[in-house]
Amino acid sequence: MENTLTNSDIYTDSGNLSPRKITVGCKDKNKFIPRFMIGVLLLAVVSLVYLNIDWLKIAGRIPQIGTVFFKLAHFDFGNIGLIGSAILETVSIAVLSLLYSLVLGIVFGMLAARNITKIKWFSVATQSFFTFLRAVPTPIWVLLMLVCLGMGPEAGVAGLCVHTTAFFTKSFAQSFESISDETLEALEVTGTGRLSVFTNAVIPAAFSQIIAWTGMRLETNFSECAILGMVGAGGVGFVISRNLQNYQYGTAGLAILFVFIIAYLIERLFVAIKKKIQ
Amino acid sequence: MDSILKFDNVSKIYSNGTQALKNVSFSVNEGEFISVIGPSGSGKSTILRSINKLIDISSGEIYFDGDTVSVQKGKNLRHMRRKIGMIFQNYNLVYSLSVLQNVLHGCLGYMNGISGVLGNYSEEDKKRALSLLQELGMKQFCYNRASDLSGGQKQRVGIARAIMQNPKLLLCDEPIASLDPSSAKTIMDLLKDMTHKRNIACIVNLHQLDAALKYSTRIIGLSKGTVIFDGAPSEMTDDVIESIYGTSRENLMMGGAENE
Repeated sequence: MENTLTNSDIYTDSGNLSPRKITVGCKDKNKFIPRFMIGVLLLAVVSLVYLNIDWLKIAGRIPQIGTVFFKLAHFDFGNIGLIGSAILETVSIAVLSLLYSLVLGIVFGMLAARNITKIKWFSVATQSFFTFLRAVPTPIWVLLMLVCLGMGPEAGVAGLCVHTTAFFTKSFAQSFESISDETLEALEVTGTGRLSVFTNAVIPAAFSQIIAWTGMRLETNFSECAILGMVGAGGVGFVISRNLQNYQYGTAGLAILFVFIIAYLIERLFVAIKKKIQ
Repeated sequence: MDSILKFDNVSKIYSNGTQALKNVSFSVNEGEFISVIGPSGSGKSTILRSINKLIDISSGEIYFDGDTVSVQKGKNLRHMRRKIGMIFQNYNLVYSLSVLQNVLHGCLGYMNGISGVLGNYSEEDKKRALSLLQELGMKQFCYNRASDLSGGQKQRVGIARAIMQNPKLLLCDEPIASLDPSSAKTIMDLLKDMTHKRNIACIVNLHQLDAALKYSTRIIGLSKGTVIFDGAPSEMTDDVIESIYGTSRENLMMGGAENE
């Protein structure tokens, strides 16, 4: 008798004592998840209706995609010099903006780190300011810089710097704040000034994290830089957009291939650096 | 002997209303080795931390080496602090740096502006740091990462960093609380030896009554923020111990008379 399951032991969908299928999930399911899913589905339907997309008509144009990629794959090496210099310009913009932002990020990160500045409202104000800068996408900053500084790579560097500095400030401040207050206190009681404590204890302790953030950001900066050229900030993006608009698929395709190769190399380089640090 | 530290009727009430110190008065002479004992929450740490102004006191006054502690700030506070070494229960080293770099941190307070910021230590300071490490039996580890050391070794680096400051007073906040008995003995021996040789006054917060009795020239007993004993270890009777800890001496000695 004891080994027989009675109906009352088993929880079923209907909750009554005649089990058809035995429920296997938890008794108290999170009711929010199905509601969330239904909400997402509703939003998707509303968006589709609002945009009035005719997927059937689009489907008819799918062969076009094949044709375009086919044309892109016929590389035109006639403008290789132009593409090469544009790629170099893009990499330079990415590296320069990264270096400037690295220095600025360390300085502002120091100001934004609560355990180093020790003036709470000031740290919060600094962090909030950079959160605002980060909320505005990079292309918009670059467009603003184009208006201020004129066309060319300067606007690209400046625009990228805004976003990258904001990113570094937040991540570096986080790294600095992860250092224990006790360690900082131990140096403070030797009569060491705030800035010396920062350079002699905080920076060395956070160094490997700083390198990791920087490597990660170089990747992002390069790919963002490739987009920025399209709004007129110089670099390979400009070459790609101009050639596509003029139906010079061969040149555009080659430029896109270069972007891909460089992005891949940067990623491999970052992985190698990360391995060396740890 | 000159008095280098004086507590004059010091009280501390924390913002949450806890009274950590009640009218504490005592003075410390050059070269004394004083243990502060008492149960947790009796105010031992508050005493130590108010000396170098990590904690601001509520009333009374502390005088260190001719200066009034409570009025010090900015540059003067830093100059006062560099004359006071401090070692901690958790060592509080910068673990990604070498042992030698950690010891050299002790002289950052004496370096001016840019060379301090850049960590440009003079060759003299480096030699002094190395000889300190040698004295502590740590010279062979000077280029090791501080994170690779054992607890006792880390505390020796902590001592070296504090002595590097050329302090007049050494504050030790539970220096052996995280150590095994044998390392604890080594650390206490070194503390006593190093401070005695240099005529540095030393105030040690201790949980270990036996260590206090063995090493101190004087013991200060605290209970609920009040000094209830201030005298030589030989004057420490069982009654005094009971009034400090609220329990008999036998109950404090784990495993009975092993330390006798």
